[in-house]
Amino acid sequence: MTTIKAQMPGVFYRRPAPEKPAYVDDGESISEGQTIALIEVMKTFNEVKADASGTVAEFLVEDGDEVDVGQDIVRLGEA
Amino acid sequence: MTTEKIQLPPARYEYGGDEFVFVELDQAMSLEANFAGMAVTNALRQEAIEGVVDICPSNASYMVQIDPDRLDPRELVEELRRLESTVGTLPEDYVLKTRVVDVPVLFDDPWTHETLMRFRDRHQDPDATDLEYAARINGFDSVQGVVDAMTSAPWIVTMLGFVPGLPFCYQLVPRERQIQVPKYVRPRTDTPERTFGFGGAFAVVYPVRGAGGYQMFGMAPAPVFDLSQSLPDFADDICFPKANDVLRYRAIDMAEFEATRSEVEKGTFRYRIREVEFEPATLLADPDAVNRELLEVLYR
Amino acid sequence: MSELRVRAGGLYTTVQDTGRFGHYHMGMPPSGAMDTYSAVVANMLVGNPDGAGVLEGTYVGPTLEFTDDRLVAVTGADVPVTLNDEPVEPWTAIRVRSGDVLGFAMIRAGCRAYVAVSGGIDVPVYLGSRSTYTLTGIGGHEGRKLVDDESLPLGAAEGPGRDGAVVPEDLRPDLTGTAELRTVVGLCSYRLTEGGLASFLGTDWKVTKDADRVGYRLRGGKLDFTEREQPFGAGSDPANVVDLGYPVGSIQVPGGDEPIVLLNDAVTGGGYATIGTVISVDRDRIAQTKTGDAVRFNSVDLDTALAARRDRRERIERVRSRIAR
Repeated sequence: MTTIKAQMPGVFYRRPAPEKPAYVDDGESISEGQTIALIEVMKTFNEVKADASGTVAEFLVEDGDEVDVGQDIVRLGEA
Repeated sequence: MTTEKIQLPPARYEYGGDEFVFVELDQAMSLEANFAGMAVTNALRQEAIEGVVDICPSNASYMVQIDPDRLDPRELVEELRRLESTVGTLPEDYVLKTRVVDVPVLFDDPWTHETLMRFRDRHQDPDATDLEYAARINGFDSVQGVVDAMTSAPWIVTMLGFVPGLPFCYQLVPRERQIQVPKYVRPRTDTPERTFGFGGAFAVVYPVRGAGGYQMFGMAPAPVFDLSQSLPDFADDICFPKANDVLRYRAIDMAEFEATRSEVEKGTFRYRIREVEFEPATLLADPDAVNRELLEVLYR
Repeated sequence: MSELRVRAGGLYTTVQDTGRFGHYHMGMPPSGAMDTYSAVVANMLVGNPDGAGVLEGTYVGPTLEFTDDRLVAVTGADVPVTLNDEPVEPWTAIRVRSGDVLGFAMIRAGCRAYVAVSGGIDVPVYLGSRSTYTLTGIGGHEGRKLVDDESLPLGAAEGPGRDGAVVPEDLRPDLTGTAELRTVVGLCSYRLTEGGLASFLGTDWKVTKDADRVGYRLRGGKLDFTEREQPFGAGSDPANVVDLGYPVGSIQVPGGDEPIVLLNDAVTGGGYATIGTVISVDRDRIAQTKTGDAVRFNSVDLDTALAARRDRRERIERVRSRIAR
């Protein structure tokens, strides 16, 4: 199973702003380097970029959840 | 006029870990407490003790930063206690040599107005401006009344800090004439650079843009902090205000604000500064007379 | 050419040294490496003076390319380090050549990694220090964190550094488990009730997302203040005091539920009651906690604080003698 992991701890957001749509939805295909979420830490919002291409099978954390370094945030299916 | 004399409690000595000694002269703010701190910190500075890294006078307290590898904090406290007993009460004839400075302020300016309107949800009185609120809770009929009170008597810089160059100023008037306002219910995430702010009994000028919790009353056209050191008043230091400076906040109109801004931008602006001496004891006994003299020296 | 290329700046990487002192009274904090021990030891490994400029990376480290022969050492957080994508040992002096690229993988424990390069990061000295203070944009490299694709000046590598010099395991900090922070209780701790103080010391506090170089905001308990009529000039909130100076390492509790430990880029004063101070040695430890980690405060006296400081100095000297061999 391929997953994308959080590179830093913080609070996880799936959308760029509360009123904006999510960066990606379950089932969408993504490519390496694409921004898929934000993690807020040290008073800044940091883009989470996909480190592999594939299809988003599911997000493993909810919008607004706290995440730790190395935690799986997205499970990828076949590209 | 004379005013009731404030008796200070015994100073409280506390270790701020191994690198700081914190001394609380009183829990309440008073000129007496600030002058006592001034006397001890000035004397300590004169002694140039090996291992003292920094001496930080505050409003009604002070702090000394030390290198504990060179100076045992307990030895420092012993010395501070000695200084408290010898110089901690200012002698009646103690003369404070300092400078008095004219600091122009545009009250009710458009920039802080725009900012305060964005943060009404964090304020005690969302339907008034910060100045209207301050006038009301301090018993003034109008905004002009509270502005007049803040600009008629000068202020003394009792502490620098929070961020580099921010002067905490306490007005040289008896406690019953002090203006007091609470801080914002929740701090703002934004305050314009050079905002004239007010919290507790202290007036400040914000050196840089940033978060803040003080009420916003106006804007100073001249900086208190200049990283580029391009203005002549900043040739020696990136911060203009110094502890014990006497500042007179003077209300100005938009025309003078803009004229001063252009001087600042051209690099020609200079604060109006005069060297002064006054006796704190005389000030405490007759503040109005001493303040009249201070302003006379400033605008002579 | 004596420069270090920054291919990627990482999340928040700044130039730091042992700090800028003597300006606290005007509101300027010391800045400097948050984990002093790791920064000093990194310099030692590459033959630099203890106070040379190093890089402090936070969570996601930088990617650095060398342009000449140097020694490099990485200390601090437990993080896999690579040279040209091959794993290399941390806490070890490594010989690098022009074109070599140093990189970091994901942090396993800790928060801040230090990179020392022989010759030191030679940014201009400002007010006696190379440390970065980003709030007013002074010191370090243009007063800010590093960004991708830029260069840093390096000093001449003339020190006694030795390829392969290594800090033994027992002289590396233990970054696992709850961080135990020895604390001198006091300052305005009289503002807390007896129960409030007991609960402060008895709680496992969690590091929030807002923890940064200015301060660490914590969560996990609620502290009660004693009731009083607020003194003149203090402000109306029970956590308010007449604005006073904050020692570096001091702890304040606005609202009673979110203690803040002020650190190297601290605000130097303000109107919140401080209730104690983390001892200088244990600032190294809190600097290596990350968002989500747990910390505890243990009350100690001044003697313990001074003894801990002597111990750290001895430990540093032991490293120095081990490296010299």
